[in-house]
This record gives sequence, structure tokens and C-alpha cells, in this order.
Amino acid sequence: MNYRALNPEDIQVFSEAISTFFERMTQKPARVRTAYMLDQPETILWNDFNGVIQVSGGFRGAVSFSAPQGLLTEVLAAMGETEQSEENFLDVAGEIANILSGRARRHFGEALDIATPLSCVRQGAVIAQLAEGPAYAIPHTWGPHEAHLVVHLDLIQRR
Amino acid sequence: MTSRLMIVDDSNTIRNHIARLMVDSRLPGIEIVGLAGDGRKAVEMAGRTRPDYITMDLTMPHMDGEACIGEIAKLLPDARILVVSALSDKATALRAIAKGAHGFVHKPFSDETMIQSLLELMS
Repeated sequence: MNYRALNPEDIQVFSEAISTFFERMTQKPARVRTAYMLDQPETILWNDFNGVIQVSGGFRGAVSFSAPQGLLTEVLAAMGETEQSEENFLDVAGEIANILSGRARRHFGEALDIATPLSCVRQGAVIAQLAEGPAYAIPHTWGPHEAHLVVHLDLIQRR
Repeated sequence: MTSRLMIVDDSNTIRNHIARLMVDSRLPGIEIVGLAGDGRKAVEMAGRTRPDYITMDLTMPHMDGEACIGEIAKLLPDARILVVSALSDKATALRAIAKGAHGFVHKPFSDETMIQSLLELMS
């Protein structure tokens, strides 16, 4: 088997999913900043709350969305949610992972096998290396807060 | 005449968001009769509360949305079901409609899209 790293259009699919979430659910758009390649091979969970999808079946790797509590507090408020709890912070992170999963399925096709999206609070933890190609971080600024999308996927090309 | 609405989604914040939208938009005659976080609970609740309209997530624990639509369509053949899901590929939408859904809204949805889609479902 041969592996191909993602191209910019592949990465943009995930970034647009995040932008659309903020625009539609909070009526306040996020600013997508320049993507950069990460030095370390693992996917790092950067912030307080994280939503993660792991893929296989023609692809391998993970995509994560990582946000600080301050951002999620304001997202919940913008959605009209009055209960600011860890459960609801995780719920929003998981919902964003769910949206990433849906967009990935639509872009890459049904050959993409996606595990159930998960959310977690493990700041600083890493997801074991699942892809060989480089990982890309795409910062998203929303108000005074910064969240990170990390895309670490290989496309498997069978000969 | 009152329209009875049930909201099914495994996300607490999305369930509450849709419910608040219904209250804030002041659509006439809508009564929210139940909120369910998984398919199994939704089927049980549908039998008990007999909603006219249902918003239905697809990716849920215990029983997924597609199976849940099939069960509810047998239980309440007149209930109209609006799928609200992040799974936005055509094959998924067609499968849901084949099971008995009547419409599809992609997540993330805007408030306007959700209200308009529910109005169309109810028309």
C-alpha cells in the first residue's frame, strides 16, 4: 500500500465545517488563520475540551477540534444555553466532531470509515500516531478566543 | 389546533437549542411533548406522547436514527419526521427517507433554516 498526504482542498473541508458551525450556531463567524505543519507526528489535544474523529477504510488518521473553556462558554451563551457545565462543554466539542465527521464522509465518500466521534477533556494528551504524513494545525479565532483544528490523515492508495 | 413536537438528538445543547427556537420564534400552536437523547428512548416516548412532528438526529447511541425512524413510522404512521443530522451525503438522506423521514436539515443549521424546514414539514 502507498500513502498520500492530504492536499489543501482536503484540509479546507474541515476548516469550512468549523467556520460554518460558528456562523450558523452563534451568528458570529470565526476567522480562519493560516494553516501550518506540525513538527511532532502525533495529534495533540491542545486545549481544555476536544472533539476527535478517527478514520480508517481507505484513509487513516485523526481530525481533532480543540477549544478553551472560555470559547465554549461563549458558544453556549450564544446558543441560548444557560447551563455552563463540563457536560455541555463536552457536548459542543462532540457536536463539532460530529459535523467534521459528516463533512469528511461527504467529501471523501462512503469508503471513509469513521469511528463514533468522541469528546474529551485531556488537555496536552496525544492521540497515538495513526497517519504517516504530516499533521496540519489550522487556528480559528472567534472573538478573543483561539481554537485549533488539527488534521492528520493519510489517503491510502492501493496498487 | 396544537401541533405536538418531539425533539430527538443525543446532543443536549442541540435538543435545547431547537426547543428554545420553537419557543422564541412563537410559531403558533406548537407544543413540545418530549425531548429524547437516543433512539430507544425516542421510540418509547413517541408511543407515550404521540407527537405529530419529530426532529430526528441520526447518529445516536443505543438505537440510531435510521432504525428509530423505521420503528416510529410503524408505530405512528401519520407522524412527520424531519431528520437533523451532520451526515450530509445523499445516500444517507435517501436511506432516511426510505425509512419514513419527510425532510432533511443538515447540521450545523441556522435558526432560519430550522424554522423554515419545520414550517414546511407542518404545511
